[in-house]
Amino acid sequence: MEDLSYYKEKRSEDWRVELRKTKKAKERTLMERISMLEQDAVERSQNIEEVNLGLTEEMALVEAQRCLDCANPTCITGCPVGINIPGFIKKIEVKDFLGAAEVLKDTNTLPAVCGRVCPQEKQCENSCFYTVQLKKPPVAIGYLERFAADYERNSGKMAIPKVATNNGIKVAIIGSGPAGLAASADLVKFGYDVTVFEALHEIGGVLKYGIPEFRLPNEIVDVEIENLRKMGVKFRTNFIVGKTASFDDLRAQGYQAFFVGSGAGLPRFMNIPGENSIGIFSSNEYLTRVNLMKAADNNYDTPVSFGDTIAVIGGGNTAMDSVRTAKRLGAKRAVIIYRRSIEEMPARVEEVKHAQEEGIEFMNLHNPVEYIADQDGHVKQMRLQKMKLGEPDASGRRRPIPIDGSEFLMDVDAVVVSVGVSPNPLIPSSLKDLETTKWGTIVVNQDTMQSSVKDIFAGGDIVRGGATVILAMGDGRKAAAGIHDYLMEKVKKN
Amino acid sequence: MVDLTTRYMGLSLKNPIIIASSGLTGNVESIKKLEANGAGAVVLKSIFEEEIIMEYDHMMNKMDQFESDYEYFDYYDYKIKEENVSKYLQLIKDAKAAVSIPVIASINCVSSHEWTYFAKKIEEAGADAIELNAFILPSDPERSSAENEKVYFDIVNTIKKEVKIPVAMKMSYYFSNLAQMIKKLSETELKGIVLFNRFYSPDFDIEELKVISSHIFSTQSDQVMPLRWISIMAEKVSCDLAATTGIHKGEDVIKMLLAGAKAVQVASTIYQNGAEYIQTMLKEIEEWMERHNYLNIDQFRAKLSQAKNENGAHYERVQFMRYFGEKESTL
Ligand SMILES: Cc1cc2nc3c(=O)[nH]c(=O)nc-3n(C[C@H](O)[C@H](O)[C@H](O)COP(=O)(O)OP(=O)(O)OC[C@H]3O[C@@H](n4cnc5c(N)ncnc54)[C@H](O)[C@@H]3O)c2cc1C
Ligand SMILES: Cc1cc2nc3c(=O)[nH]c(=O)nc-3n(C[C@H](O)[C@H](O)[C@H](O)COP(=O)(O)O)c2cc1C
Repeated sequence: MEDLSYYKEKRSEDWRVELRKTKKAKERTLMERISMLEQDAVERSQNIEEVNLGLTEEMALVEAQRCLDCANPTCITGCPVGINIPGFIKKIEVKDFLGAAEVLKDTNTLPAVCGRVCPQEKQCENSCFYTVQLKKPPVAIGYLERFAADYERNSGKMAIPKVATNNGIKVAIIGSGPAGLAASADLVKFGYDVTVFEALHEIGGVLKYGIPEFRLPNEIVDVEIENLRKMGVKFRTNFIVGKTASFDDLRAQGYQAFFVGSGAGLPRFMNIPGENSIGIFSSNEYLTRVNLMKAADNNYDTPVSFGDTIAVIGGGNTAMDSVRTAKRLGAKRAVIIYRRSIEEMPARVEEVKHAQEEGIEFMNLHNPVEYIADQDGHVKQMRLQKMKLGEPDASGRRRPIPIDGSEFLMDVDAVVVSVGVSPNPLIPSSLKDLETTKWGTIVVNQDTMQSSVKDIFAGGDIVRGGATVILAMGDGRKAAAGIHDYLMEKVKKN
Repeated sequence: MVDLTTRYMGLSLKNPIIIASSGLTGNVESIKKLEANGAGAVVLKSIFEEEIIMEYDHMMNKMDQFESDYEYFDYYDYKIKEENVSKYLQLIKDAKAAVSIPVIASINCVSSHEWTYFAKKIEEAGADAIELNAFILPSDPERSSAENEKVYFDIVNTIKKEVKIPVAMKMSYYFSNLAQMIKKLSETELKGIVLFNRFYSPDFDIEELKVISSHIFSTQSDQVMPLRWISIMAEKVSCDLAATTGIHKGEDVIKMLLAGAKAVQVASTIYQNGAEYIQTMLKEIEEWMERHNYLNIDQFRAKLSQAKNENGAHYERVQFMRYFGEKESTL
């Protein structure tokens, strides 16, 4: 954040000054970081209920006291959207939990979601005074964010934000992930007539079909969607823009601006022999089947038995979600195969820890080079090659190097390939004048999120390739402001 | 008119000059020009594993810290590989559509697993043959020569399981028992062996104290290595031999044919003299054949190979001994 004056001003409000005096900084720093309440590991690996149970009020009050309300709040610089972190934590300390939620919502449309899924250990908590200066565990910013948001939701006093009177100008949002939801929230507040078009039958994007229930219960996302409905946002599901209707069709229906938040839903594979055998899925397909189509539920039409031994290739959040899902569906062996060591895994630290506790096997420094199928074309074995770590690559992580002659076979019943996704090409390819990168992402102006086609704005994974919920949400908000400026300018001209 | 045709790894070439794998054969326009100027065949630029790693690093360098989402880029090398592979397959298809001379694809392999899958796709894309640019610099003091040598055989065996089109191997001379290595490789399913690849070598800038690249292009005198070894091996191998490195003029082509090569591969001289120079070289060969009353290449091929030569010891002489000792000092 270049300009911290806003935060400074808030910090010098009388109540904050007084609150700082109630406890010496030294005393605050001597307090231990609280631990999240969790379901028992064995139990939870057999159900789909949320693993983290949240903080009690007492716990939140104690943790909030640890925050020193620093003059130079480095945590804020660690947050991609610049949430006023000490601002909301100090509200918790004075027991104004609804007030805390309000501070969060100033910048974050989805605090209950971000409190659960942000990689805080790489962001705010990594820049916390405790981490940087004291070399102690940081303030549990993520847990507190979740606490405040959950408190508000459970209080029955969730405020529906005020919206300006409908100005009749139609704006289309394409994709109902965090980027699209955030954009629609702001646009409806500005007074636009907002419709969200979603290709799937569920609203919420990755929040629904990707991230599993045990990490992010659907109910939490549904509450946000319900609020948007109450604010006047319209949703059209099973509607693929570029197929069901083109941009020109929508323009003809009176839509004056578009926000594209279509995400990165095209799975990538490794292109190794045998990879198209039956029983080898992309994590996208696997998680979508489980999360949306209830494939694993035997009462449903399309139950899918995935087998006893499930190998998941990859080391990111998606891989962790897939492997932990596999365990919950009854796999006897749910195994992560990752070609670097555990330290290099891109997944959130908490996810890795939870997976380990739940009995997930980790085969680090292993990489598949071939899949072998039975006569029916169903995968039965994979050939794994052992790896060692070489010099650091440009990301600073040590490069995996294959060890010649180290290959061996491992029996598997199913494989989930979780090596990344690419932007869905449908929208970029349906618009000739839309500028894209060689990676298939849409090129936008960084300040307004406007693309090379004037009435089209974009954000989230379709612009960044792959990112995080909070960045997608931040983009959606930035784009909403960009669209607002663009449309006001247009109205003035006419 | 003399007949310049030759058969190399089962392919019919209108003449023995193949344009070696290099930037010259990296795009269709250039390949068309090479054909128009008389090239007998082309070996496409190799597809390299190393390039994929370099491109990956380049991309990672461009990302700033906040954007860096390791999950997205964690396996991006596979994506880059897929893109490079599909570009390469397109090059094969385009080249095949644009020219009628044989198009040989080239894969740079450093292990037996990496590219075998890809070999099949190359075949499907229509390449007439595959050349394996297989090389492991034997620089690891912990690895035995047997271990290093095994990799070459593994590569051939795995690739031949995947494809039916002829496969050649372009090799180096870094073997402790070169003759046996060449002979044994020729007894695999390889249809051709190319002697010898020329590699990038480091050089030093002694003023700047920096490591720089040594000469990229060969000189004519570099041809002594392929000349000797093709002469020695020509009648002892069970597959075709092609010569490369230091072949700059028509006369050099003639020498390699006399040694027993079925074809030659040239790069440096074409870089330096242009595609038109193929015509000059071909003319030189024709004139020489006419002068010597040869109607076709088979009439003189391998005439100077070791096996056909009474003075076989010449080929194996390595010490200068008396012959050069008699060269008096001019100091
Ligand atoms: C399994 C998994 C776990 C993850 N875990 C985390 C985590 O722990 N923390 C974190 O911060 N991030 C995580 N991420 C990443 C995060 O979810 C994404 O960065 C974020 O969801 C991107 O938001 P988005 O709005 O750009 O796109 P998405 O959430 O992908 O939403 C895009 C929506 O657009 C729809 N769509 C696409 N094309 C069209 C079309 N033509 N017409 C209509 N609709 C269309 C799609 O169906 C989809 O619903 C995870 C991702 C996955 C897959
Ligand atoms: C610029 C340049 C690029 C080359 N690229 C390749 C390559 O991609 N693959 C390969 O097998 N050989 C490559 N080579 C080696 C040539 O194919 C050839 O074998 C070598 O240069 C010796 O032949 P010459 O003396 O006619 O140049 C390259 C050579 C040059 C000069």
